[in-house]
Amino acid sequence: MNQTRLHLFLALLICSGCLLFVAFSVGSQVPEVKVVVNPSVDSKDLSVEQIRRIFSMRQTTWSNDQTITVYVLANQHQTHQVFSTKVLGMFPYQLDRIWNKLVYSGLGEEPIKLQSEEEMLERVSQEPGAIGYVMQPINLDKINVIKVLEK
Amino acid sequence: MKLVTRITSLILGMLYMTFCDSAESLKINGFVAQGMVQSKDSNFVTDDGDVSVKLTEIGVNSAYRFNSSLRMAGQAVYLEGGNRYPDGFRIDYLFLEWQLLQTANWLIKTQIGRNKNYHWLYSSTRDVPHTRPSIVLPQSLYFDVFRDVAIGVDGIVLLAQTDNKWGEWDFNFSYGNSQISEEQKENLIGTSASGKLTHDTDTQISVYWRPSLSKFQYGFSLLDADFSYKQGDNDTLFSGEETSQRIMFNFLYQGQNWEVASEVMRERVIVENLLFPSFQSDLTAEGGYLQARYFLSSQLTLLARLDIYDRDRRDRDGSNIQTLSQGLVPSYFGLMDQATVGMTWKFAKNIQIQAEYHKVKGTARLAPIFTPNTILNDSKYWDMWAVQLMYWF
Repeated sequence: MNQTRLHLFLALLICSGCLLFVAFSVGSQVPEVKVVVNPSVDSKDLSVEQIRRIFSMRQTTWSNDQTITVYVLANQHQTHQVFSTKVLGMFPYQLDRIWNKLVYSGLGEEPIKLQSEEEMLERVSQEPGAIGYVMQPINLDKINVIKVLEK
Repeated sequence: MKLVTRITSLILGMLYMTFCDSAESLKINGFVAQGMVQSKDSNFVTDDGDVSVKLTEIGVNSAYRFNSSLRMAGQAVYLEGGNRYPDGFRIDYLFLEWQLLQTANWLIKTQIGRNKNYHWLYSSTRDVPHTRPSIVLPQSLYFDVFRDVAIGVDGIVLLAQTDNKWGEWDFNFSYGNSQISEEQKENLIGTSASGKLTHDTDTQISVYWRPSLSKFQYGFSLLDADFSYKQGDNDTLFSGEETSQRIMFNFLYQGQNWEVASEVMRERVIVENLLFPSFQSDLTAEGGYLQARYFLSSQLTLLARLDIYDRDRRDRDGSNIQTLSQGLVPSYFGLMDQATVGMTWKFAKNIQIQAEYHKVKGTARLAPIFTPNTILNDSKYWDMWAVQLMYWF
């Protein structure tokens, strides 16, 4: 009986170990969202609040008066959902509400919506003052990755 | 004044088109919505209470940025809402915006022209179907009969936004007036009034606070609006004045699956003369709503809302109205409570359908407000349903 319980315990340990390994493996495989800017942007790091201000379109110019051009991915895009919830701490529908209010009451402009991360990297690399985000590896020289300062 | 506004709008429009040669700085957006609605046992939408297609909302807006601190924005809409508000085209907003200050933590700008009402939760986009929680907004605060007066002002707006350790703050101030059309006048004071109703001044301030990185938002606003009426030929009314002073508080919670919103208000309405010489009325109304939305999925949203309104906080059941009118106006003209359930289904990109049902007790928010229509609104309880298909770009 004791032998059987020992085997069960060992099996449980092995299973738990496997699950932990899988969990950590999966965790390490989830790529982080990187906030990217055009090299013309002076800032090397931004706080979460600043990024939230920029993507809420409350801050429209950089500290050197350069106009900020904001690029986002479509609502359904996984990268947009991860960026919205993990980086900004907002749900995608909240951003939608903010942008709708800006556009349909004349208060401001909404970000430029793109379909893919490739397009995001291309547009941000070409547009002075541009900001966006990606999860995929960056192979372009004309892109700077912003360090996000946690609170 | 109306002519001046039209000429100003025309000049601004021409100026606007002159600068519309650069696609990069020019933005164009819009919306189209058509629905069906039925309001039985009341004149809320139609006099006969039949099913109606008077639920059309079309709009096109555009914005042009001259440089980093100067931009122009405008929106034209075509609306059909039955008795709720006058049908037809109108310039919803058209203004020049000048950014006065932009720092890391402050943004201050001013708008001159025809501005939207930025002070209430849904006031700035109340005609934009896909931005609303429901087709018909809670009538305690978003009183459709008063729509054209409450939608915004011809005048000046000052907007300030700041971020500090407590969170995000918005400060809004507006001053101006609005044009009252003949149909709007009839909705407000009745068809027998042949004189001229003028919205003299309208001053509003509001403050919004979103605690740092939280899911909550709190706000309050103050309104002071003055109206005057000049007696016309063979008029049943007399020259007089009306003043509305409103204080409002609002709350918004936005979670992953739930959104809860509430706005409450207290409004003092002072009327002098108007009904007869030396007539005096000083009433304080109270109202508000509690609304919950549940996001079943990214496409499907359910809504439930309770909205209450008392025309006089000292006469909540309206018995004084019945007594003073010697029984001509029933007591239920002193209140209007509304329970609403609805759903929104976004079944394709930028296309959604909204449907809702309202059960209503009372008729205090039905047109006209100064001379109640007791023939068409002879039921204390009435109901309404609406379905609307909407597309936006």
